[in-house]
Amino acid sequence: MNFEIINPSSTEELLGTIKSLQKEKFRFGAGCTDLLMELKKNPEENLTVINLSQVKDASFTGIKKTTNQFRLGALFTAHKIVINEELKINFPVLHQSALTLASTQIRQVATVGGNLCTASPSGDIACALVALEAQCEILGTTGKTRTVPVTDFFMGPRKTVLKSNEVLYSISVPVNNKLSKNILSGFIKVGTRRSMECSVVSIAYHIQTDEHGNIINAGVAIGASAPTIRFAKEACEFLIGKKLKHISHKEKEKFAEKVLSYAAPITDIRATAWYRKEVLFNISKSIFE
Amino acid sequence: MQQKNYSQKKINRMKKELKVIGKPIPKQDANIRVTGKAIYGHDIVLPGMLYGAILRTEHPSAIIESIDVSEAKKFPGVICVITADDVDVNNIGYKRDHPILKKGEANCTRDEIAAVAAETKEIALQALKLIKVKYKIRKGVYDAFDALKESAPQINKFISGKFENKNIAEKFHYEHGNLEEEKKKSQHIVTRRFTLPRMTHACMATSNITASYNNVDRKLLLYSSTQVPFLYQRDMAHALKMNPSDIRVIQPVIGGGFGSKLDMHPFEPICALLSIKTGKPVQIIYSREEEFIASPIRQPMVIDLTAGVDKHGNFTFREINIVKDNGAYTSWGATTPFVIMQAFSSLYKLKACRFNAMAVYTNNVFAGSFRGYGNPQATFALERVIDLLADELGMDKAEIRLLNANEKGEVTGQGLLYDTCGHKECLETVISKSHYGKKSLANKDSRHKRGIGLASMLHVGGGAKIYRSDGCGTTLKIDPYGYCTIITGSNEIGQGSETVLAMIASEELGIDLKKIKVINTDTDVKPWDVGVHASRTSFVAGNSLLGAIKILKEKLNRKTAELLKTSHPDFEYSENKIISLKSNESIALDKVVREMHFSQPNELAIASYFYEPSSKFQDKDFKGNVSGTYAFASQAITVEVDTYTGNVKVLDVYVAQDVGKVLNPLLLGGQIEGGILQGVGYALTEELLMHEGRILNPNFHNYKMLTASDTPEIHFYPIETNDKEGPYGAKGVGEAPLIPTAAAIANAVCNALDLEFLELPITPEKVLFAIAEKKRTDKMHSL
Amino acid sequence: MKEQLKNNKTKMEVLHEISFTLNEKKVSCKIKASTVLLDLIRDFFELKGTKPGCNEGECGACTVLVNGAPVNSCLFLAVNANGKNITTIEGLTNSDGSLHPVQESLVQHGAVQCGFCTSGMAMSIKALMNQYENSQHVPGEIRSEFPTRDEIKKYLEGNLCRCTGYVKIVDAAEKLFAKED
Ligand SMILES: Cc1cc2nc3c(=O)[nH]c(=O)nc-3n(C[C@H](O)[C@H](O)[C@H](O)COP(=O)(O)OP(=O)(O)OC[C@H]3O[C@@H](n4cnc5c(N)ncnc54)[C@H](O)[C@@H]3O)c2cc1C
Ligand code: FES
Ligand code: FES
Repeated sequence: MNFEIINPSSTEELLGTIKSLQKEKFRFGAGCTDLLMELKKNPEENLTVINLSQVKDASFTGIKKTTNQFRLGALFTAHKIVINEELKINFPVLHQSALTLASTQIRQVATVGGNLCTASPSGDIACALVALEAQCEILGTTGKTRTVPVTDFFMGPRKTVLKSNEVLYSISVPVNNKLSKNILSGFIKVGTRRSMECSVVSIAYHIQTDEHGNIINAGVAIGASAPTIRFAKEACEFLIGKKLKHISHKEKEKFAEKVLSYAAPITDIRATAWYRKEVLFNISKSIFE
Repeated sequence: MQQKNYSQKKINRMKKELKVIGKPIPKQDANIRVTGKAIYGHDIVLPGMLYGAILRTEHPSAIIESIDVSEAKKFPGVICVITADDVDVNNIGYKRDHPILKKGEANCTRDEIAAVAAETKEIALQALKLIKVKYKIRKGVYDAFDALKESAPQINKFISGKFENKNIAEKFHYEHGNLEEEKKKSQHIVTRRFTLPRMTHACMATSNITASYNNVDRKLLLYSSTQVPFLYQRDMAHALKMNPSDIRVIQPVIGGGFGSKLDMHPFEPICALLSIKTGKPVQIIYSREEEFIASPIRQPMVIDLTAGVDKHGNFTFREINIVKDNGAYTSWGATTPFVIMQAFSSLYKLKACRFNAMAVYTNNVFAGSFRGYGNPQATFALERVIDLLADELGMDKAEIRLLNANEKGEVTGQGLLYDTCGHKECLETVISKSHYGKKSLANKDSRHKRGIGLASMLHVGGGAKIYRSDGCGTTLKIDPYGYCTIITGSNEIGQGSETVLAMIASEELGIDLKKIKVINTDTDVKPWDVGVHASRTSFVAGNSLLGAIKILKEKLNRKTAELLKTSHPDFEYSENKIISLKSNESIALDKVVREMHFSQPNELAIASYFYEPSSKFQDKDFKGNVSGTYAFASQAITVEVDTYTGNVKVLDVYVAQDVGKVLNPLLLGGQIEGGILQGVGYALTEELLMHEGRILNPNFHNYKMLTASDTPEIHFYPIETNDKEGPYGAKGVGEAPLIPTAAAIANAVCNALDLEFLELPITPEKVLFAIAEKKRTDKMHSL
Repeated sequence: MKEQLKNNKTKMEVLHEISFTLNEKKVSCKIKASTVLLDLIRDFFELKGTKPGCNEGECGACTVLVNGAPVNSCLFLAVNANGKNITTIEGLTNSDGSLHPVQESLVQHGAVQCGFCTSGMAMSIKALMNQYENSQHVPGEIRSEFPTRDEIKKYLEGNLCRCTGYVKIVDAAEKLFAKED
C-alpha cells in the first residue's frame, strides 16, 4: 500500500484540491475504514488520497436541525449518531443501524458519508437512510450543490451518482410527520454472530402512525438482498392507512411478500440466496409481531 | 519403591492445611503482559535483522514446470532467495512425507515454492511478486473418499505403500469384547454418519519465528513459539542435517497455542535456512491471511457410528469407522485416533467396541493438533447417538447417561484404569443445577424455541505416553538471598503453568511468591520435557517440581538441624523461615542457604528431579493404561433457536469437571471459560471453508470467531476427586472444557426443534434449511 | 539526530511532518503518507505493547486512544494523528511502573492468559471509563450511572480474545465501575 495524501483543512481548500486533481487518480478518505482495507488488498499505483478528515467545517462534520430536517455532515461519525439522543428518539432505525455497525472502535471513525459512498449493498447506516428517504447534498468544485434522494444515490455495487468533481456534502433526514404520534422504527441485522457482522440480510423500517393508530408514513429498505440497497416502495404503500395494531397475519405475509419482491440476492460464502430470501420474509413479518 | 514412598508422603501432606494451593492467585506473569512489556515473537528486533517472506503455490494441485527467481534476486534490498534447488535438507513431519520447499509439484494451497530474505518486509513481499513460476494445473483430489478410489492419483509420493491403498497415510484398528454377541443382545441399534468441519486455532498472535545463525561457531539460535521445544530441536536438526545440540531454541512469550504449535511447520526451517545462507538474523511473521491459509486446523472427518443398547438401557457395543482428510502431508493430527478411540471405547461403560480409522491424503490443507485432539469430534458423534438411543428406548436422556456412567475402580475394555472417577458426580451436578428435565423450557414465543442438551467427556488427565518418555525434569535452586529459581522443562503458552509451579514451590518451601522465578524458555538451560500437550503440564511438571523440592528439603533440613542443634528433623517451612515443630525455634531460609554455601562442607542449595508418570505405553493393540489419571466432565447447555433466522443463542452452560483438585480457581476458571467459548464456536460458527483446495474465508471477517457479545452464562462446578497420582490430587484440565460443548449444544438444538443435525457447525442456514425441510415433509405426510 | 537515525533504519521516505502528543509527551516525526498509526507506534517509536492481530480492523489488538476514544490503529492513518493526543498501553501504565486500575483489575480477575489481546482490551476498557467520566452515553439502551454487563460486552465487541472466553475480562471491567461507586 503506497499513496500520496493531501490534507485540506477547509471546504474551500478541499474544492481547490479536487479541481487540481481532475486529471489524476485520486480517492477520498473520510474515516478510511473501507478505503484502507481496499487499498491494502488491491494497492493502486500513483494514487492520491484526499483526506477529508482534517476538514474542520461544521457543515461537513456536524449536525444541524431545522424545521424540516436533520442535516448530518458527510463526516458525521457512526459514534456521533449513536450518542445523539435526538436522533435516537426521532429515528430509532438510524440509531440502531449505527449501533450495529462494525465495532466500537470502527464507529469512532467511520462516517455516514463513507457508508453511503462506499455503496455496499450491506451498508447499515445507508440502509436506514434509505428507509428514512433522506436527501444527499452533493458539492461540486464550482461550489454549487445539488440534491439527490438517497433512494437514487446508488447506481450499483460500489457505484454512486457522484461525478469525479463532486464530493458528498451532507445527508438530510426529514423530520417526522407532524401528525405522527407513534413510530415503529428499527433496524434488523441478520448475521452469524451478535457483533462484528457484515449483514447477511438486513431490513430498516420507519413507520409512523397518527393519533388513531393509522399508518400515515412508512419507509422500508432492505440490505444485502440486491446489488444495491433497495427501498421497498410497494410494501410501504401497502401499509398506508392500515391500523398498526390490527395488521392481520395475512397482511403481514402480504407485506413480507411485497418486501421480498425487491430482493434479488446472490449466493456467496456467507449465505445462499435461498437463505437470504427466507430470512427476509420472516423478519419482514416480524416487524409487526 | 521410591515412587511409592513419595506418594505416601504426599497423602500425609494433603492432610495439612494448604496456604497457597487452592487460592485464586493471579498469574505471576500477568503484569508484564498487561503493561505491554512482554516480548512476543512479533516484538523481537535483532541487529541487522532481515525479513523473510514465502511464496506459496497459486494452485492447490499442479506440476511446477519452472521457477525463475532472477528478477527477485536483482530487486534492491533483496539479500537472498531460495528454492528447493538451493538447499540440502530432509523432509519434515513424523512420517517424513513433507518437503520444506516444494519441487516438481504442488499438492496443497499452502505449498512453499520459494522464500526471500530482504531488508524490509515490504521489499520481501514485493520481491515475491517478481518470482515467475510456471505451473501445469492438475485436477486435484479434494475429497477423502475420492482419494480412496482406484482411479485416484497418488498424492504424496514420499510414503512407501505400507497400507493397501496408495493414499492412506495412517491407519488404526482397535477392538474389545465380543461385538457380534453384543449386537444380538441389543434391543435398539442406531447408525449415523457425522461430518466434522475444519476449525482453526486463530491464535491472536500469528505464527512467527526469528532465526539467527552464527556462522563463526556454526550454531543456530531460534526464537520460536513451539510448544514442544525439545522435539522441535530434534526435528529441526533432522530437517537441516545439523546436530541437535547446535540448535538453541528460545521461546518468546507466546500469543496463543491450543495445539497449533505441536508440529514444526515448513516456514520454520525455511527461516533458519535464510539465516544460514545470509549469516544474518531473519524473521518471518505471518499476516492474518497467511495464518488462516497456512497454519494448522482441527482434523475434518467423517464418522460412521453404529451403537446399541439393551432393553435396560445398558450400552452394548459401538462400531466406528472414521475417514479423516489428512490433507497433502501428515502432521500429528493424523494420530488423533489415539484419543478418539479412547472416547469411543471407554466413555461410559461399554461391553464391546470395534474401531477403525484412517487418514487419507488429499490436495486439501493438512490438519494439525488442536485442543481436544480429536475428542470433540468423537464426543459429538457419541453423545448425539446416545440421545438417539434414549429416544428409541423411550428412556430419559439423563437417566441413560447416569446408568452407564463410568465408575471409580473401573478398568475399561481398553485397559484404562480409573483410580478416581468423577463422571457420575459431574453428570449429577449438571443435571441438578440445570434442572434438567424438571424446569420446563418454556418457549418465549412461537418464534423462539428453547432446548437443553447433555454431554460428557473423558480425556487423559495425567499426560499421555505417546512418546518414549512423558516425563519432565526440574532443577530447583535457592540463592543466598532466599529467592528460589525453578528451572523446568515445561512451557508456558498462556495457560498459567508458571504460576502453578511457583505456587507449589511457595506452598512447600514457605517462600513468598514474589521471590520465586520460573525459567522455562531456553533449551540450552532447561532439562528435558516432552512439551505442552495432552493437558499434562501442571500434572507432570508439578510432580517433577515436588520431587525436586523433596530432595532439596532433605539438604536444607540437614543443615537446619545442624544449625539449630537438634536431632529432630521435623521442620515446617513458612514465611521464608524454617521452623522446628518440636522446639518452635526458627531460622531464616536465606541464612540456611548461606550456611550451606559458605561453611563446610560447602554444598549448593540445588536439586534436580526427573518425573516419569506411571502410565504405560500402549501395546500394539492400543491397550494399556496410557495416562497417569483421567479427567471427566459433563455439560448441560440450554439454547434458544430463532426459527425466523436460524440463529442459535447459547443461554446457559452448566459445566462440572473432575479436576482432581483445584490448584488455582482463577486460572482454572479461565481455562474452562476459554475452552467453552471455543467449543461454542466449533458448534455454531467456526469453519474454514474450502473449495477445490482453496480457502474461501481467510480472515476474521468471514471466519466467525465469537465476540464478547456472544458469550453465554457459564456456571462452573469443579469436582474434586483427589487423585493420588496428581500434584495435591490435581488432574489435567486444559483441553476438557471444550470437548463436550459442541455435543451438548447439538443435543440442545435437536431438542429445541425436534430435528437432527449430523454436521458441525450448526449454522443459521443449516437450521433454517432443516426447519423448512421438516415443514415440507410434515406437509407431505398430512396430505 | 536519533530520529534521523531511526528514519534511516526503518527506511521511511520522509514526506509528511506530523506532531502530536504520545503518552503525554510531545513528539514529531516525518512519515510516508500511507503509514498507519500502528506501524508508526511499533516501528518508529518502538512501543511494542500495541499488538498487530490482523491489520484489518477485526480484532482490536491494536486499539489505542485518540483523544480518549478507542480506534484500531491498524486502520488509522498516521497523518491523522497530527495535533491529536494518542495514548497507548505504555501510556496507561503509571510512570513509576505501577499499574493503572484497568490493568490492576484485569490482573486480579485472571483476565490475562496469553496476553496478546490484553493491551487492546485494556485500552478499550479505559475508553469506556472515559465515556462515563465524560457522562457520554454508551451504546446501549438505558442511560445509567454505570454500564451493565451487557453494555460492557457490547462495548468490547471489537476486541477478540481466543483464550479467556471474555468472562473474566468483563468481570474485570464491571468491578472497575463498581469500585468507583
Ligand atoms: C472491520 C470492519 C467492519 C465493518 N463493519 C461494517 C458494518 O457492520 N456495517 C457497515 O455498514 N459497514 C461496515 N464496515 C464498512 C465501513 O466501516 C463503513 O462503510 C463506514 O461507514 C465507512 O466510512 P469511512 O468514513 O471509514 O469511509 P472511507 O473508507 O473513508 O470511505 C469509503 C468510500 O467512500 C468514499 N467517500 C468517503 N467519504 C466521501 C465523501 N464525503 N464524498 C465522496 N466520497 C466519499 C471514499 O473514497 C471511499 O471510496 C466495516 C469495515 C471494517 C473495516
Ligand atoms: S490489528 Fe488492528 S484490528 Fe486487528
Ligand atoms: S488472552 Fe490470549 S487472546 Fe486474549
